[in-house]
Amino acid sequence: MTATYGQAVEVPWASALADYRCFGCSPHNPHGLQLTFLTHPDGLESRFCLDRTFESYPGVVHGGVISTVCDETMGNLIVLQEGRSAFTVGLRLRFLSPLAIGQQYRCVAKLRADGDLYHGSCEVVDDAGVLLVTATGMYQPVDMERAREHMHLTDQESESLRRSLSQSTQQNGA
Amino acid sequence: MPALTRDEILPTVTEIVAKVFGLPTQELSPELDLRQIEGVDSVKVLRAVATIEQRYDIELEDEDVFKLKSIDDLATVIEKTL
Repeated sequence: MTATYGQAVEVPWASALADYRCFGCSPHNPHGLQLTFLTHPDGLESRFCLDRTFESYPGVVHGGVISTVCDETMGNLIVLQEGRSAFTVGLRLRFLSPLAIGQQYRCVAKLRADGDLYHGSCEVVDDAGVLLVTATGMYQPVDMERAREHMHLTDQESESLRRSLSQSTQQNGA
Repeated sequence: MPALTRDEILPTVTEIVAKVFGLPTQELSPELDLRQIEGVDSVKVLRAVATIEQRYDIELEDEDVFKLKSIDDLATVIEKTL
């Protein structure tokens, strides 16, 4: 990603796929997290504040949902920076402190190549910058043909996604 | 990159642990039982571990993490993992 900080960045899915419903980042899924992303000098940032829909114990954000936030931020960093889709093949988190419902948090993801895979890492901090969660993920990139097969894309959707990914790389690539 | 030696790891780990625990480094000897320090609990130890994992870009095994007692133990598992 570019070295700017805090600029809104669009993931390519929304413009490429009319029926895009990602639980993590689609604005069209009323049951999802509807995460949005910002540029960050280290990679990609997501700011989030979750309501009781995503509750675990009373007042506490569900750990599985936090995992999704981390996975989404690392995964979309690959998409935006490298211009390719990737599937998560491993994910590990350390939960240092519970996250509260209704509080604002930031998730910042970084990325490095690791052989044929990508190694993502990210941290979730509160408004004061206190570290609450760390996560690492391994991602297997997929070429457009395999992506098309897995995602059941039409010819038109496949071409639209290819264009959109290419534009993302031009705008955000290293 | 050549693997770091134990002597190179210890000062960094001591510094991170001191910062997480809010203590001066001089109060932390390598053999000190971390959970016996007043105000330190398993969550603080885990916070130090997470910071160390970020610092060295490594993932320590949970079974190692929950067994370790001292900075010396931390240096051992880091050395093993690097």
